[in-house]
Amino acid sequence: MLLRRLVLAIPLLIGILFFTFMLIRLGGQDPVGLLAGPTATTEEIEIVRAELGLDKPLFTQFWLFLGNVVQGDIGKSWISNRSVTLDILERIPITLELLLWGVALGSVIGVPVGLRAAFRHDKWFDHISRGISLLGFSIPTYFLALLLLFIFFFLLGWSPPGMGRISLLISPPPTVTGSYLIDGLLAWDFSVARSALAQLILPVIAVAIISAAPIVKHTRAIALEVISSDFVRFARASGLSSDKVSRIVLKNSSTPVTTFIGTELTGLVGSVSLIEFVFAWGGVGQYGLNAIIRGDFAAVQGYVLFLALFSLVVFIIVDLLVLILEPRAVAE
Amino acid sequence: MADLALGSAPKERSFADKIWGKIVGLSRRSPTSIIGFVIILFFGLLALLAPLLMPYDPIAANPNLILQGPSAEHWFGTDGNGMDVLSRVIFGSRYAFGIAIPVVIIALALGIPIGLYSGYKGGNIDEAIMRVVDAFRVFPSIILALAVVAAAGPSLLNVVLVIGILDAPIFVRVVRAEVLALRSSSFVESGLIVGNPTWRILFVHLLPNAIQGAMAQTAVRAAWAVRISATLAFLGIGIQPPTPEWGAMIRQGAEFMVNGQWWVGIFPGVALILMVLGFNMFGDGLQDLLDPKRRSGGK
Amino acid sequence: MSLLQVRDLHTHFISRNLDNEIRIAKALNGVSFEVSRGEVLGLVGETGAGKSLTAYSVMDLLKPPARVVDGVVEFDGRNLRDLDTEDMNKLRGSEIAMVVQNPRSSLDPLTRIGEQLVRVHTAHSDANESAARARAVEMLGAVGIPAPEERMRAWPHELSGGMAQRVLIAMALMNDPKLIIADEPTTGLDVTVQAQILDLLRELVETHNVAAMVITHDLGIVAHYCQRMAVMFAGRIVETGDVETVFDNPTHPYTRTLIASTPERLRERKQKILGGGAPPNLYNLPPGCHYVERCQFAEESCNQALSLEQVGEGHFAMCARMDAVREGWPT
Repeated sequence: MLLRRLVLAIPLLIGILFFTFMLIRLGGQDPVGLLAGPTATTEEIEIVRAELGLDKPLFTQFWLFLGNVVQGDIGKSWISNRSVTLDILERIPITLELLLWGVALGSVIGVPVGLRAAFRHDKWFDHISRGISLLGFSIPTYFLALLLLFIFFFLLGWSPPGMGRISLLISPPPTVTGSYLIDGLLAWDFSVARSALAQLILPVIAVAIISAAPIVKHTRAIALEVISSDFVRFARASGLSSDKVSRIVLKNSSTPVTTFIGTELTGLVGSVSLIEFVFAWGGVGQYGLNAIIRGDFAAVQGYVLFLALFSLVVFIIVDLLVLILEPRAVAE
Repeated sequence: MADLALGSAPKERSFADKIWGKIVGLSRRSPTSIIGFVIILFFGLLALLAPLLMPYDPIAANPNLILQGPSAEHWFGTDGNGMDVLSRVIFGSRYAFGIAIPVVIIALALGIPIGLYSGYKGGNIDEAIMRVVDAFRVFPSIILALAVVAAAGPSLLNVVLVIGILDAPIFVRVVRAEVLALRSSSFVESGLIVGNPTWRILFVHLLPNAIQGAMAQTAVRAAWAVRISATLAFLGIGIQPPTPEWGAMIRQGAEFMVNGQWWVGIFPGVALILMVLGFNMFGDGLQDLLDPKRRSGGK
Repeated sequence: MSLLQVRDLHTHFISRNLDNEIRIAKALNGVSFEVSRGEVLGLVGETGAGKSLTAYSVMDLLKPPARVVDGVVEFDGRNLRDLDTEDMNKLRGSEIAMVVQNPRSSLDPLTRIGEQLVRVHTAHSDANESAARARAVEMLGAVGIPAPEERMRAWPHELSGGMAQRVLIAMALMNDPKLIIADEPTTGLDVTVQAQILDLLRELVETHNVAAMVITHDLGIVAHYCQRMAVMFAGRIVETGDVETVFDNPTHPYTRTLIASTPERLRERKQKILGGGAPPNLYNLPPGCHYVERCQFAEESCNQALSLEQVGEGHFAMCARMDAVREGWPT
């Protein structure tokens, strides 16, 4: 089953690559200009044109493009003047730090609320939590980030300005994992760790709020389905106490909920990118959004590719998790 | 309890009673849908009656009145160009609807026929179409919209087209699921036996039923369209300032927020949140009402 | 001495429709029957007659908007309707055990069956883990499952329908029940497996002096495995008595129709079935006999309130025109 997923992923990947390839040719402009950047001289443009074979027919171009990608070459960013692949690889742990902490917090809040709403179906807790969840769906991500900064930085002065991962006055710790917080702790440098933590709090809260809304909604839906299942009814008919029945519901809800959170991750990278942008976090998200805004199309290609690969990896991990958690799945 | 003994043959009620009864009945079942509907109605009225309601011209710049806080003359204050924020917020509702409605129409116009066809035909065509639909799911749609609009050029038309096309796969999936469920049902089979041509089966027999699921989704998709277009505008892609669109206004307001002139960005933001919330609540309520599985009760 | 006595049970579904009008579906309308130790009572009726609902009403397992609105449920001298949820919970799965349809989907898919059997036992007794395990193995053996020790570690999805049903019966037996309620225990199983399960049930009743109620729509099961029967229509028991007596002398027109509709009888008589038709509308039932719309003997007198009348020794029926039916029934 896993193999099947992997095999199906290949045409999907090629499709995505084709899409990114065609992306910069969408507007009808000369792709060379876009890839080389507005600061390129005419000679540099011609060099890029020859390098990428942009004077050749479309199919050859795509073939060259594929070849390059497989070797890890997605082109050069004219903003940073470095290989896009390097740019992105550097920034992956930075984005992951924010994403993982945020989703973890969002799950820790969202799953229990969703479960409670299901157990108290149609009571006031259910209605209120659904209302708040809907609110979470309705706040645009960037506005939430701005709002948080406004309230906690400007109004209350509790939070440092949203300028990156560490105070500008402190120098970052030696890189081990890429996370300033963890690296700071590993180096026993507590001022670094403290500053990194202070910078982390608001953006993580933002990610948590955005991720909690769908988690509450789907956890509730999943738990409700389990509660109305045959085996829960039979458990009640067998005289098991409501505690024991609740535990049965929890156990049977955990796999679908975990699967859901996994798939949510793929959509959340988009929101995380926006949050990175507002907080100048310096991860792949901010890099990619900047690239889109300023027209650094090689970097855009890299960003789009990263998103697709990330999603695929997440799906594979989720599939593996299901195999571990579900005795039924192993039988297939 | 004599009147309960005969089951519940309802006594005749006056028309007003019936309407009130329907409203109470609906709000019991789904209070969110009523609140959502009221909110949408409110903004709809704002959009329609904008010229009558705006105290000032939304794009009249006045260098003397830059960045004034909320006051009696300017309830929501003025922005960086001296324009009245209240008028701009009111006028912005037109953009919100102007985006939401075409987007949903495009998504439905694309999604329903494809979904019907894919679900009905099955086989390889269905597989191929579902692969494409799944591919869309792999991506965060925000980024997709961003990338395409950035590449194609910032304009209202592009924004509407792109978001509409991106929303279509959801309708494809919903409609297809309904069609798959109905395809083997007896009334379709009898239609086939009688010898109806394919298109007739699709549109006359399947469509009315398959469409229910799609209808429930429309409000939620409208909410998403408003939200995404504002995100695009915020990033400078899509609608540009000084157009009084809420996303563009928040973009302007962002820089001022840090310095304390909060009204420029917060008011359009609140309006945006409210409208999206209204659509979401209405859509959530619709889904509850239309999808029998989601309703509580029963055995 | 009857173990379970149900008298005049009424269960309604009360809800509000979109127009905010109260809608009441009267699913059970005065159900009365008895089950005694050492005998199997068969509850028969068509789909929607209210058979499963009766079981759930007795066990207090109804989900809103369903509610018991009237009636007495006396079990072993106690009125079950007076008990609170906790006390009811103590009875369920121990003194009164239920065996349901869909055995495979009624078992917790993420727990091994041994664990589930143990769980039911420790919920109702002070037994420790190993004692419970030992008993579970014993019960699995008692229901005829080969290699019970190994089976303890099986997952529900690894069992066949028949096996799963046996596991459910084993679970019912874990706590020495006085009454077993089996709701369509054999629907969906192979015919041979059906016979095995029902034989098992009958054996348990006879050797352990347990009382059993089998809910089914299959008259054949009633004929072969039950001592007494109750025929249900539109939420009422319309006829009850010993199986032999009722089969020999069916009194209510519905009972007659049911018996006449079995394939064997149809072949014998080679005649049309009378009394088929649409299920009654529970929101709007007729004031007297509920069978009037489908009965060819219906008359004005049938619209008055009815009760069960004695027809013979232990044999009762609810019909205003019993004699007319007996005379007028085509042979």
